[in-house]
Amino acid sequence: MLKLSLVTPSKKLLTDLVVEDLFVPAYRGELDILAGHAPLMSTLGTGVLRYKTQGSGSYEKVAISWGYLEVLHDRVTVLAETAETAGEIDLNRAREAKANAEKELLRADLEQHEFEKYQLKLNRSIVRIGLGGNDDMGAAAERTLKH
Amino acid sequence: MPSMKDIRKKVSSTKNTQQITKAMKMVSAAKLRRAQNAIINARPYAYKLHSVISRLAMSGEFNHPLMAQIPEPKKLLLVVCTSDRGLCGAFNGGVIKFTEKFYRENKSKYEVINFIFVGKKGAEYFKKRDVRTVETMINLVNEIRYELAAKLADRLMNEFTAGGYDEVILVYNEFKSAISQKVVAEKLLPIQPLNKEETINAEEEDIKESINAFAGSNYIFEPEAEVILRQLLPKHFAIQTYRCMLESIAGEHGARMTAMDSATRNAGQMIKRLTLTYNKLRQAAITKELVEIVSGAEALK
Repeated sequence: MLKLSLVTPSKKLLTDLVVEDLFVPAYRGELDILAGHAPLMSTLGTGVLRYKTQGSGSYEKVAISWGYLEVLHDRVTVLAETAETAGEIDLNRAREAKANAEKELLRADLEQHEFEKYQLKLNRSIVRIGLGGNDDMGAAAERTLKH
Repeated sequence: MPSMKDIRKKVSSTKNTQQITKAMKMVSAAKLRRAQNAIINARPYAYKLHSVISRLAMSGEFNHPLMAQIPEPKKLLLVVCTSDRGLCGAFNGGVIKFTEKFYRENKSKYEVINFIFVGKKGAEYFKKRDVRTVETMINLVNEIRYELAAKLADRLMNEFTAGGYDEVILVYNEFKSAISQKVVAEKLLPIQPLNKEETINAEEEDIKESINAFAGSNYIFEPEAEVILRQLLPKHFAIQTYRCMLESIAGEHGARMTAMDSATRNAGQMIKRLTLTYNKLRQAAITKELVEIVSGAEALK
């Protein structure tokens, strides 16, 4: 039995929710966390956090940007800078952000930190579109992100 | 002696004012509640982040530019948090007075004191004074969003690391309760090393276990603890900035609510006084007329 808490600066999304299975976009790639996991601390990247509640057949998905994860004694605490469920995502805004980031990335005079900033923006918008849009695009977005 | 018509006019205009202040009070009360909720919602995040950083910092010696303590700070960046709008009692006046005093007292101690203003009132006041302003942020929306605070925090961190400032101090109204705010100056940067005893006392039971797990190095770190800490510190700073801004916003609404409440009450008193004078005048006029009629009738006899 795994208890999941998801906290952002503006709200506490989940508190000690009992989950069976949890996937997080961790520092080195996706992590699957099950009950009995060793104590762990990791930072999270931009991506989709998925969890399956006890007895449920499907995964709930939440798009998060930068975050932090701690596992201790079957309690998982996730701090995320932003966390949005599929219903909360503004698709048009995400698409706009994606187009904008792509345009900026093509500029020749981009400096290193700018490049990183827009890269992150692009990732965020791709994740949002993937989660908020239809499933084809979602799968495509997940593929893009893995590469 | 004002005429009866004058008084009637004055009463009706006071009533109008009273209605406005009453409405403002109600609006502020609603906004205050929302601001308070925002503070409460931000608390768990800030708390958890703080606890992680404390534990990480305890587990080893880490150096980070945001934590670098400078023994004799020479360059200071002062961030002054006021509101955009007035009619909130001593809210802005308190901050401004405090800042002026602070500036006077510390001018000789520092070589450079530069200002960043958040909110229109402070910026306007100091525009006429001889201070160096790096930036002003005005037209803040009523609800401070985390993104906005994060942007300010980014800016401050850049100034701190690249701009060569030795310290960043934020002056703002700390929200005590709906009726009281306290002006405080908080040293935001460098981040103070966190006290071990404090952390342990303040935290829950499982934190202690976690500290033990740290000591036994049972934890898996991904990436290394130092890299995690390096990522967490800026976030910690951002959330601190966010918290201060929220406090200031909540304080503003609280102050406005109190100010408008007493304004409404004063208007009520004024209306009462004016009505009394009006009635007295009316009575006097009636009596006068009666006397005139009676004495007129008397004269005809």
